[in-house]
Amino acid sequence: MSIQAEPQSPSDVIRPLEEAHGPQSGAVKFTMLLGGVVFALMMVFGLIMRAAQGAWIEIEPEIFYQLLTAHGAGMVGTAAVSGAAIMWYFLGRHVPLSQGIYWAFLGLFLLGVVLILGAIFLGGYGAAWTFLFPLPAISGGAWDVGAAAAFILGYVSIGVGFLLYYLEVGRRVSAAYGGLARALGWRIIMTGDVTGAPPPTVVAAAAVTIFNSIGIVLGAAVLVVSLVNLFVPEFEVDALLAKNLIYFFGHVFINASIYMAVCAVYEIIPEYTGTKWKTTRVFAIAWNAVLLFVMAVYWHHLLQDVVMPPWMLVVGQLVSYFSGIPLLAVTAFSLCIYIRGSGMKWDLASSLLVLSVFGWSLGSIPATIDGMIMVNKVMHNTQWVPGHFHMYLLLGEVAMAFGFMAWLVRGREPTEMGVFDLAALWAYVAGAVGFVLVFLISGAASIPRRWAVHLEEWWLQDRIGTVFGGLVILGTLLFVIRYVTGLLRAAEDA
Amino acid sequence: MQPIVLGVSLVLMGAAAVLFWRAVRAVDGPPAGDGANRRRTQLIWTMTLVGVLVSVASLREWPHAIASEGEGVIVNVSGGQWYWDIDVEQVPLGTPVTFLVSSEDVNHGMGIYDENMRLLFQTQSMPGYVNKVSYTFEEPGYYQVLCMEFCGVAHHDMISEFEVVEQVPATE
Repeated sequence: MSIQAEPQSPSDVIRPLEEAHGPQSGAVKFTMLLGGVVFALMMVFGLIMRAAQGAWIEIEPEIFYQLLTAHGAGMVGTAAVSGAAIMWYFLGRHVPLSQGIYWAFLGLFLLGVVLILGAIFLGGYGAAWTFLFPLPAISGGAWDVGAAAAFILGYVSIGVGFLLYYLEVGRRVSAAYGGLARALGWRIIMTGDVTGAPPPTVVAAAAVTIFNSIGIVLGAAVLVVSLVNLFVPEFEVDALLAKNLIYFFGHVFINASIYMAVCAVYEIIPEYTGTKWKTTRVFAIAWNAVLLFVMAVYWHHLLQDVVMPPWMLVVGQLVSYFSGIPLLAVTAFSLCIYIRGSGMKWDLASSLLVLSVFGWSLGSIPATIDGMIMVNKVMHNTQWVPGHFHMYLLLGEVAMAFGFMAWLVRGREPTEMGVFDLAALWAYVAGAVGFVLVFLISGAASIPRRWAVHLEEWWLQDRIGTVFGGLVILGTLLFVIRYVTGLLRAAEDA
Repeated sequence: MQPIVLGVSLVLMGAAAVLFWRAVRAVDGPPAGDGANRRRTQLIWTMTLVGVLVSVASLREWPHAIASEGEGVIVNVSGGQWYWDIDVEQVPLGTPVTFLVSSEDVNHGMGIYDENMRLLFQTQSMPGYVNKVSYTFEEPGYYQVLCMEFCGVAHHDMISEFEVVEQVPATE
């Protein structure tokens, strides 16, 4: 098995033209098209919810909670599939990957989407994307067990697809780099010798493969238990154990989407700066810390479950804080160093990718503060929570995805941004910043999250949030239109 | 506490944004010098030190401390789709009140709001467990109980109320 040579000089880091039309690119481009369209659709669902909370429009609560469920599951799923597509694309530079596995992964994902959409919009299922046990089975008459079962089976289908994906990634990386431990950079950590170090994308792939596989397997366990409970109510699982499993799975899964998508930063930014993103000892230590932190931090979701052993809640708070160090002191700091004095050009792709690391970093600040038990007591499940996760998703993972899409349809060289690109970028950035700030301010005003009907005194924030949300959708639509026209132009040229 | 949390968050986010903006503006300036790694190391140690200090300060007094047995009063609260069952209508002012919170069906979240609709504290209400939380009310008046954990189609209707009074009548 051969390992593709890494670029060694600024001229080498310019991507070969044929790569954009390589064997994996069609599937990845299709995935990103799907991702862009679904992101936009889910944002429209979000906009409807914010407008309904602000009493600008009127929708029945059951419809609101169905939209809430679709929005949550759809956004998490799309973030994950777009992150997976990005990592697959760039990992293909370093190890050979089976296209058949990718199509199987995507097929199972789409099957899951069909089941989930059917469960929600045909079956009336609306227990949120977190399916907190035993809510799927106890709906108060809003949906029947068939709808809940379809939703759970949809998740199972997506999970099986992702496991296939990680099996392929894991075995290829392991074979090429002499085991996952070496791919994680353990040799570099032990010896400090970076000769023959695995590229950053390979280190990321090894870490994500390990923690997300574990997360999905534990998620599958609680999904199966929930499924059995639907049809055999006497078969019960401890609600606290189920909650632990669900939050472990959910936390790891959504974090994996960002950690996969960051490969776009590692691989594309060097084209602009002329300096390869290197695997150093600090980089390897950071990724190994991430591997542990991502799995150990999920207890910060359970800080108000006071029956939990106190030491777990303390670990949740501590790891929540220390998780910020690899992000801020390694990823964000390195990006600042790489771009400084590089003379890089700002086109849509580079702008969005740099923005994504900054947005991700900024979003970690209110998240970390909410991870303190004393703060969580008054912020948990207020709109502070969607405030911080929308920040590191909208301005983080989603920006990475759109940056990657802009790069996919870019010509060989970066070009100056035109009016269209500038309008799209600033509409998106201004909208997203305003949107998340309104959420954070609303959280500080104690407005609870996930309420279909708001008190009149909360309407002003809801309406301002709706306006900013509209701006985000405008920017997103412009990104998607630009991507589609770029694909069509490339097809014509071909 | 909420205004402080918001203020600290905005200041830290603003400071980080300024640093990032300066890096973006420095693209056409001189490249980072040899001191970059030293600065990174300083940043890591500074963040670590701040983390240790903040953790010790915020955990030295356990945030979930429960009033000792025999001290104050006990209030039993049970959540169900979609109601709160509270075994008293009035609780005393200036005395620790320990809420024993459970659930009849699915997960709920008991959030206690003051008359200005400011969240004072919360805990989860879950099937099979009793979560305990203690609080000493310092202002008389009516307090709202809102559901903080999504529990189904009438989640937003799960609102109840109790009164904090200087002296609870003996019949309570």
